[in-house]
Amino acid sequence: MRRVTKIAAAGIASAALALTATACGSSSKDSDTTSGSSDSSKLKVGVAYDVGGRGDHSFNDSAAAGLDKAKADFGVEVKELTAKTSDTEADREQRLEDLADAGYNPVIGVGFAYAESITAAAKKYPKTTFAIVDSVVDAKNVDSIVFTEEQSSYLAGVAAALKTKDNKVGFIGGVDIPLINKFEAGFRQGVAETNPKIKVTTQYLTPGSDLSGFSDPAKGKAAAQGMLDNGIDVIYSAAGSSGNGAIEAVAGKSGAWAIGVDSDQHEQPGLAKYKDSILTSALKNVNVAVYDAVKSVKDGAPLTGTHAYDLAKDGVGLSTSGGFIDDIKSQLDEAKSKIVSGDIKVKTTVK
Amino acid sequence: MELRGITKRFPGVVANHDIDITVRRGTVHALVGENGAGKSTLMKILYGMQKPDEGTITIDGEQVAFHDPGDAIARGIGMVHQHFMLADNLTVLENVVLGSEKLYGIGGRARAKINEISDAYGLGVRPDVLVEDLGVADRQRVEILKVLFRGARTLILDEPTAVLVPQEVDALFDNLRELKAEGLTVIFISHKLGEVLSVADEITVIRRGTTVGSADPATTTPKQLAELMVGSELPSPETRESTVTDVPMLTVDGLHLSETDLEGIERVVLDRISFTIHKGEVLGIAGVEGNGQAELVEAIMGILPPDAGRIGLDGDEITQLPTRRRREGGIGYIPEDRHRHGLLLEAPLWENRILGHVTERPNSKGGFLDPAAARRDTERIVREYDVRTPGIEVTAASLSGGNQQKLIVGREMSHRPKLLIAAHPTRGVDVGAQAQIWDQIREARREGLAVLLISADLDELIGLSDTLRVMYRGRLVADADPATITPEELGSAMTGAAAGHLEHEDGDTGHGGEDR
Amino acid sequence: MKKIDKERVLLAIAAPVLALVAAFVITALVLLATGKEPFGAFGTMFDYGFKSDSQVEIINKATTYYIAGIAVAVGFRMNLFNIGVEGQYRLGAFFAAAVGGAVSLPGFLQIPLIIVVAMTVGAMWAGIAGVLKTSRGVSEVIATIMLNAIALSIVGYLLKDGRLGHLDEAGTSVSTTPLPSSGHLFNFDMGEDVGQIYGFVVLAVIIGVGYWFVLGRTRFGFDLRSVGLSESAATASGVSVKRMVVTSMLISGGLAGLTGLPLLLNDTHAYGADLFPAGIGFTGISVALLGRNNPVGVALAALLWGFLERGSGRLEFEGYDKEIVGVMQGVIVLSVVIAYEVVRRYGLKRQQQKVGEELAAQARTKKEVTA
Repeated sequence: MRRVTKIAAAGIASAALALTATACGSSSKDSDTTSGSSDSSKLKVGVAYDVGGRGDHSFNDSAAAGLDKAKADFGVEVKELTAKTSDTEADREQRLEDLADAGYNPVIGVGFAYAESITAAAKKYPKTTFAIVDSVVDAKNVDSIVFTEEQSSYLAGVAAALKTKDNKVGFIGGVDIPLINKFEAGFRQGVAETNPKIKVTTQYLTPGSDLSGFSDPAKGKAAAQGMLDNGIDVIYSAAGSSGNGAIEAVAGKSGAWAIGVDSDQHEQPGLAKYKDSILTSALKNVNVAVYDAVKSVKDGAPLTGTHAYDLAKDGVGLSTSGGFIDDIKSQLDEAKSKIVSGDIKVKTTVK
Repeated sequence: MELRGITKRFPGVVANHDIDITVRRGTVHALVGENGAGKSTLMKILYGMQKPDEGTITIDGEQVAFHDPGDAIARGIGMVHQHFMLADNLTVLENVVLGSEKLYGIGGRARAKINEISDAYGLGVRPDVLVEDLGVADRQRVEILKVLFRGARTLILDEPTAVLVPQEVDALFDNLRELKAEGLTVIFISHKLGEVLSVADEITVIRRGTTVGSADPATTTPKQLAELMVGSELPSPETRESTVTDVPMLTVDGLHLSETDLEGIERVVLDRISFTIHKGEVLGIAGVEGNGQAELVEAIMGILPPDAGRIGLDGDEITQLPTRRRREGGIGYIPEDRHRHGLLLEAPLWENRILGHVTERPNSKGGFLDPAAARRDTERIVREYDVRTPGIEVTAASLSGGNQQKLIVGREMSHRPKLLIAAHPTRGVDVGAQAQIWDQIREARREGLAVLLISADLDELIGLSDTLRVMYRGRLVADADPATITPEELGSAMTGAAAGHLEHEDGDTGHGGEDR
Repeated sequence: MKKIDKERVLLAIAAPVLALVAAFVITALVLLATGKEPFGAFGTMFDYGFKSDSQVEIINKATTYYIAGIAVAVGFRMNLFNIGVEGQYRLGAFFAAAVGGAVSLPGFLQIPLIIVVAMTVGAMWAGIAGVLKTSRGVSEVIATIMLNAIALSIVGYLLKDGRLGHLDEAGTSVSTTPLPSSGHLFNFDMGEDVGQIYGFVVLAVIIGVGYWFVLGRTRFGFDLRSVGLSESAATASGVSVKRMVVTSMLISGGLAGLTGLPLLLNDTHAYGADLFPAGIGFTGISVALLGRNNPVGVALAALLWGFLERGSGRLEFEGYDKEIVGVMQGVIVLSVVIAYEVVRRYGLKRQQQKVGEELAAQARTKKEVTA
């Protein structure tokens, strides 16, 4: 008896749970008015950040800066959501759809992790304009924003090569994935073509299957400390908020330089304590791209298709705040013009 | 000191209720009762470790309330626990002053005080010896000294003789008489009636949580006292008609085991042990605990692999078999520590009935359990072995020690073992359950069971065994005939070195067993 | 007896309820401290959590968490702390995806093949910790933590373009070869707006029933539980504890290997770093604790976890700090551990008292009869 009742109970419980889904009827999307631009009087912009979100002093903050500018210029209403490391595809899709459903347009996914979910959401909300940063989504209502990070990294490499005293420079990547490999490849090439005698040391904080390397400043600090202890005196880190730890470590050693990434990290209030150790930052002007996307919708001519923000268009570049690279400006300008003209082809993969 | 109407509703089998005791100054007052009768609870109340729900404690006419042992110590009450609380790697002096450094400091003054107390009561304690070098009896004296050092005028001794051999018990009693002569009061907890009668001035008997009477040791016999304790006629372990056959059941040959301790010193635990138990024979092994008995049992059970030697059961070699196969092969096991080795305390009784026999009927069929049959059989064991429980779904932990043991005995006997290993089968078991367990062993023996009995209770050993062996430092050093030997003789053989070479006991008529 | 049984049920329910109430109260206090009104937050979570599409999503999440929880629970039942479910799950899912993507068999072979690969890989990985524990005395906690790190690195190494991974066209993410359609498991379609329930939920139920049956109704399960209750008593009863450790680690790891399959077979159909979320193994620990290693309890705990995560997204949308759910989850686990211990001790005492009372009553009636 007992056995039968227990099995039955387990079976019934699970069946019941499954059925409640249909029984309860209303979906989270039913409650709202139909999607799209129902409230056209005021532009509503939805942003879904990558893990770390606003406040990472880096990639996400760069997007946030563009958003803030759009807000100031056009008075748009803004809703910001953030990814978690425990996200599944369904979670990301839900996040985007929640935004689209509530009438936010455009909806911007910051980070390549949103590629799949934007593909799905764009299909469901054809009237909403989506934008994806760092990936390409093939849909009529999606603006795919990509950057030539290898070009800015090349310039960072040139700067590092000219500034190192001991001919040892380091690269810290947040996670060992193709996107970050682009940074490494550009940096290595920039260093090598400036001074082939310089040794470049690379360290990735986590392997490709573990995205926590983008949000772990302690790991960044430990990696940078290890490099400093080995006599490396210029460290370029492309590691999201983990890079903050690396900058902190570098600031602890006089004569060593950190090269920031994505945002102009010299100007980041959160990093003000270490600003004198930040040589320059390899800018990835997500802010420009985000601003452009919002503006296009505002102007009634939404951008779609793939837009590459490269060195020629100042989509990527090197920051000059602090004035630490003013002395090597001529070499950097020369390298930049060669890249723009196509004389230098920067590789996107290592080896 | 007077206790009036002490009641403690305590989450246990027996609560204290309406306890009335008067202890006069300068006497040895014995508190006797079955295990689980509530003696320990009462002592904890007296020592401030627990608070009574009702009732009063009066000392020298003044009512007191103890909140913790500190209060009790301040009132001159000290406790010597059954399990010693000494740090092995410190000296006697250090152990004594530990925690009461303020009294006499930790140097010369404390040493002088210790010597003074030791001389005054004839304790013979040497302050600068490491505790780890002391024997059990010496450690007990250190514990007593520790309590006196803190100014106790009333000493509570919880089962102080449980760990001692007879000669040591006598020495302890001499100490107690010295204390009494100096005007101190001793409260002595025990269930060994002979000892109680020999040392106590007054006796209070506790049964089922309440005081049922007092006795005058001068006019009371052990039997009368026991009947007061149990409330019924008392059984004895005597068993005389021989059922020994000449068919060997268990043969142990040259069993050898050595252990290397943490400091890398090799110690021989079992030293070329050989013996045979025949069908219908009870072989008793006497010895002070820690002389290899536990390891011998574990080796036979297959829990501890020996370095050398062979074990045979009913003609089959079992030396290499795992424990489960041995149990299936017919070894029943009543472990020494039932809480650690015999029961799953947090599991219900019927699951405990399965423990150790999961592969056997009625507990399972094929690879699957048969809970219904196991439950039914547990009901039967509860009935037949008089396990006092409201049901078989309660956890083993909620039963009293005696009832737990009856369940274990019932479980092991239910599988009709060929050999029963009974290690201290009646330890911590009340007199009533003790008699039942003895009956079970006797009955099984009559049906041809072989029994390996290990016990610290010499009466039990002599009463139940057909053959006796004495184990000392991992060796079987002597054998004896239970028909003729006295507990005192056995006790001195157990101390080994004291008696020198003991190939045969004095007074042994020689038919008790073959030579080693 | 009936009374005791009823009380036991009550006590069993009391612990998680107590824990949940405590967690809600503490979370409310935290919300108040941040200047937000707590009931609005809870209201939002409930409103959103009970929408039909949310329910589908919660069941899907819970399916994954349930399997991870049961994997942990198997270890817990014999006092083994398998912290390595995370690594076992990643490795299992990765190799299952790689093998599944490399071969193309009919569905009735393809899916079982994927399942077997996932279980085998997970079991082998956990088995390393088991063997280390029995042969070298290495704590399974330490071993599995280290194996987690190694598992991540192995997956990271193999998941590269040109090895077992393929770069997408934007050049930013890598994943394994997608499973052929024969490797896609059926879904329960609940309608356009509502979504699809993973077909793997059926397997999760089977796993739950199997777990209950093996532990409660087989010799092996009894041996396993007895080791958990008392290692010394189990040894004396004839259980080979060493073999039990290895076996249960293998089972725990095998189940852990299955953890990623609802996602793989029903959703992503390929392994990629951002497709398989981090921390499911650790969620499994929480869920097993919360569900008290009971197959139904773990299911409820997994659903609760799914509900909280689902609700957390909405909280952020409504302007609450999204971290609040993290606080709540942490507080729940902590409260659960405390509440269980409190209730367990109370129950044990209570039972001893009951037994004492009943026996005393029996003794009294007997006395009356004889008198």
